[in-house]
Amino acid sequence: MNRTSPKVGNVPPPLRFALVLCFMLAFPLPGGAQETVCLQCHSAQTGPGSKAVKPWQASIHAENGISCHDCHGGDPKDAANAMSPARGFLGVPKETDVPAFCGRCHVGIRDDYLQSAHGRALGKGGPTCVTCHGAHDIKKVTLDLINEKSCSRCHPYERAANIKAAMEKTERLIVAIEERLARFKGEGVDTEATDKSLFALRNTYHRLFHEVNTARVTNESAKLQGELGKLDQTLQKIDEQRAKRKIAGAFVVAAALVAALLFHLLRKTCD
Amino acid sequence: MNLAKRIYTWVDVRIGAGALVEKELTGYLLPTNINVWYSMGSILLFIFAMQVVTGMLLLIYYVPDADKAFKSVTFIMNEVPFGWLIRMCHAVGSNMMVLILLFHMLSVLFMGSYKSPREMNWLSGFILLNLVMGISLTGYLLPWSQLSFWATTVATNSVGAVPVVGPYLVEFLRGGKLVGPPTLGRFFALHVAVIPITIAALVGAHIFFLQRTGVSTPPFGLQETTNRWLGDRYRYESHPGGIPFFPHYALQDLTSIAVYCALFLGVVFFDPYIFFPATAFVPADPFQTPAHIKPEWYFLPNYQTLKLFPSEFLGIAVQGAAMTFLALLPFIDRGQEKHPLKRPLFLACAIGGIVLYIALMIWGHYS
Repeated sequence: MNRTSPKVGNVPPPLRFALVLCFMLAFPLPGGAQETVCLQCHSAQTGPGSKAVKPWQASIHAENGISCHDCHGGDPKDAANAMSPARGFLGVPKETDVPAFCGRCHVGIRDDYLQSAHGRALGKGGPTCVTCHGAHDIKKVTLDLINEKSCSRCHPYERAANIKAAMEKTERLIVAIEERLARFKGEGVDTEATDKSLFALRNTYHRLFHEVNTARVTNESAKLQGELGKLDQTLQKIDEQRAKRKIAGAFVVAAALVAALLFHLLRKTCD
Repeated sequence: MNLAKRIYTWVDVRIGAGALVEKELTGYLLPTNINVWYSMGSILLFIFAMQVVTGMLLLIYYVPDADKAFKSVTFIMNEVPFGWLIRMCHAVGSNMMVLILLFHMLSVLFMGSYKSPREMNWLSGFILLNLVMGISLTGYLLPWSQLSFWATTVATNSVGAVPVVGPYLVEFLRGGKLVGPPTLGRFFALHVAVIPITIAALVGAHIFFLQRTGVSTPPFGLQETTNRWLGDRYRYESHPGGIPFFPHYALQDLTSIAVYCALFLGVVFFDPYIFFPATAFVPADPFQTPAHIKPEWYFLPNYQTLKLFPSEFLGIAVQGAAMTFLALLPFIDRGQEKHPLKRPLFLACAIGGIVLYIALMIWGHYS
């Protein structure tokens, strides 16, 4: 008989809940990611094999449930054969294979990269995906990725700075529209059509991230800003409609209060 | 004799309207010290009527099908002219109905109006409170949002703590092992047919009891506040020299209803979202449990009580005992005194109960 179980059973629910909560906070598993044998083994290692685990746990991949085997292949449920090529294990790609490795999922971005000056320099000292994005600590892409420290490892920052400046306004517009949409969603507004339009525009914007032609980036950014402006106007109309509702509401509430006053005065005349 | 007078006389001769108005309105006398709390019942009747009307309007576009319910509600909110207003009035109105019902109940408690011979008034009112909670709970599922789905999952789960029959009861309520399309069908039928009809019938009974025994005299502003009715024979509590229901108190009722409307419409137009967390506008997803699912504010004390006890059964038993005590209060509290300040034990228990209820509600909200 298990001697500990009656004791556990006697722990009051609030305390039990607190213990479970503490355990979960102390050993968090990134949202959506499965606990695989890859993580079990590599977390326990002390050498280079463990280096990928923590950066991955803080990555956008972990947040979206993309685990080790999704990129490196292998069997995440069978420790003995987890790294067997027969089970599709790919291991670490060679430098020139990195764009194809990541491009299995990020198809459009791979094509953009390969067409850019960065991609054309692949294997000739040019950067691969991991040069800028990192191998495991991949973060949600923002314009902060274009920065002097990172870019000037290979070339002067000036052109990159111009590209970043052209894209910053687009980024601000997208973020503002996203925030507005999130607010509207929480108030029951049907945002489906606007969501779809923003999704398409955001994708177009993201495809500019690998473009190094300043003139093209400037032109495309201007077009995107025009389209985003139209979306912004659509949302502005919703805001205006809501403001009108509040004005109407103020009249209705005032009318109810006036009616209350009149009824009260009328009641006084009966005394 | 002008035409209007002739028509009135013609009708009066045939149906006795004048005598009816004299008996039930202008000649229906109320205590001279009647106060504003007596108009809570009229406000509740008004709210119930509003709920019926807005509910019927919602029925025109609402589709009680798990695949279509959320979209139909979104359509009402965004496409139907004034659909948002009708839906918000219905949803906010359900919360207001519980709030005003609690005020009505508290006023009856503190003024000792539940005492003999008004046990039936109290009991029918208490059942009405439970039915209003039931109609709110069943209505909560209908938009088929994440909030609806998971709050119903939690609520129906707690029934499983009833010994022996608990699991069967849960399955019966849900129409299956889990909340799903059959649950929506069941809750829809309860929400639009079974419970409203029962509420209407009980409201009728409640008003009948009120008519039969007469309006109780409030204990405030009087020297003698003892309830003299012994319950040995039928007696109608009349109020000679009192104020007529029409137009005097009818105008007080209208004043209270108008004040209520101002408050209610203020919430509807300016911040109806105090009753809608963001999950209320996300379609139900049985595979994704939201981080924080809380019941409506009026179920928070029950929710928190369930969490406090080491077993759900104990939590339900304690709540059941408290509810039974409250339902049977007029049969337990046989004291003749009606003034709250002359009933120290009652006052201590009532205030303690209210503080506990509010504390559990706040605790449940932040837990």
